[in-house]
Amino acid sequence: MEFDFSPVIDYLPVLLQGVGVTLLIGVAVAVMSVVGGQIVAVITLYTRKMVNWPLRFFIWLFMTTPLLLQLYFLYFGIGEWILIPAIVVGVLGLGFHYMAYNADIFIATIKSVSSGQYEASRSLGFGHLATLFYVVLPQAFNRALPQLSNNMIIMVKDISVLSAIGIGEMVYVSQYAISVTFRPFEFYITITVIYYLINLMMEAGQTWIERRAAYRS
Amino acid sequence: MTQTTETPMVELKGVKKRFGDLEVLKGIDLRVDRGRIISIIGPSGSGKSTLLRSVNNLEVIDEGQILLDGVQVNRPDLKGLAFEKHINHIRQNMGMVFQHFNLFPHLSTLENVTLAPRKLKGVSTSIARELGMELLERVGLADKAQVYPSALSGGQKQRVAIARALAMQPKVMLFDEATSALDPELVEEVNRVMKGLAEEHMTMLIVTHEMAFARDVSDWAMFMDGGVVVEANTPEHLFSHPDQERTQHFLRKHLGTQG
Repeated sequence: MEFDFSPVIDYLPVLLQGVGVTLLIGVAVAVMSVVGGQIVAVITLYTRKMVNWPLRFFIWLFMTTPLLLQLYFLYFGIGEWILIPAIVVGVLGLGFHYMAYNADIFIATIKSVSSGQYEASRSLGFGHLATLFYVVLPQAFNRALPQLSNNMIIMVKDISVLSAIGIGEMVYVSQYAISVTFRPFEFYITITVIYYLINLMMEAGQTWIERRAAYRS
Repeated sequence: MTQTTETPMVELKGVKKRFGDLEVLKGIDLRVDRGRIISIIGPSGSGKSTLLRSVNNLEVIDEGQILLDGVQVNRPDLKGLAFEKHINHIRQNMGMVFQHFNLFPHLSTLENVTLAPRKLKGVSTSIARELGMELLERVGLADKAQVYPSALSGGQKQRVAIARALAMQPKVMLFDEATSALDPELVEEVNRVMKGLAEEHMTMLIVTHEMAFARDVSDWAMFMDGGVVVEANTPEHLFSHPDQERTQHFLRKHLGTQG
């Protein structure tokens, strides 16, 4: 079998567009799931069980069902009533999915901040909320970083699942290119290399972030 | 202690505190005048730390009254947010130093010192920075301003913690076994800072195991055991000729192991 990468070169703009979509979705989902995860964790920890049970149910639901099912549910299920653009469904679906996982991490790391930290903050005159914002959450965030960045690396790969609802990310656009050029191998090799490069960069970022966080905790 | 007509800086009246069935403070009275330094000594579980923590409401007392400069600290009549507002205000006037330092690990040394003045008093970043550097200078750590707590020794951490408490310009400083977690060779540097404060007539309440230091620095010494003040006197008297047998026994044991 002969390799011919010239179709890949021809379709490079299309592929790069897919890379762009993947990265954009990745950033949106990362922001949504990290910010949302913290909010869910704080509400779960600091409100009464009666109030926060919907949130705990939400975490449980998203952690015990497959991502693909969640996406189908949001896109085709809810789509019966309201048509939501696929890209919105993709970001929300992945966002909620990883928000649940991140919330779980934040719950553990917020709990791990010692009572001495609360006392030191309160003794200076900070109230409950100020203590949470200035003292507890920054530390919980630093401690969560290793697991958070692991989650985000897995998340970027999971973006490929969004091809199932027709979002033009990397896998989807390469499928399209293959259907036209009939060169599956070359395209799959190319996007494998691109995924590898993205991962390499994320791991470098992870190492840097973790080293910084270790010094500050 | 000499009674004056001026409002005491800290006053405790019949303070009682229970943990479940255990009564850890059985009616404590104490008066600390402005600029005075009181040492509280006693065996573990005597209630001395609980007493100190009660002063700024880290422990909520069950009975009695605590006053800071004439203002009642414990306010059983205030609930929820009203009490929160009250106690936050009171605490801004009291500096507390803990056995385990409790520095904020995510902030640099300077940020540890400036956080409270910036966020609670609205002091501008540049002025807070000036104040913070001044305080770090005072505890001998100006060169560590940009360093994070993980890179400091125990003695340095505690000196930063003292600077952090001083940054709010408190009326009184509370020291809860400030040197107990330190290696012996690091105790002196912290004691030196505390002596410096004493010379500036800062009102201080010191819970300590350092008998020599307590004797040296304080105006008044209290021996607590079993939730009561067994004996209180000038340090010269309390440490050299204690009246009570329990005090004598404690000091013999403690000074014996120390020397």
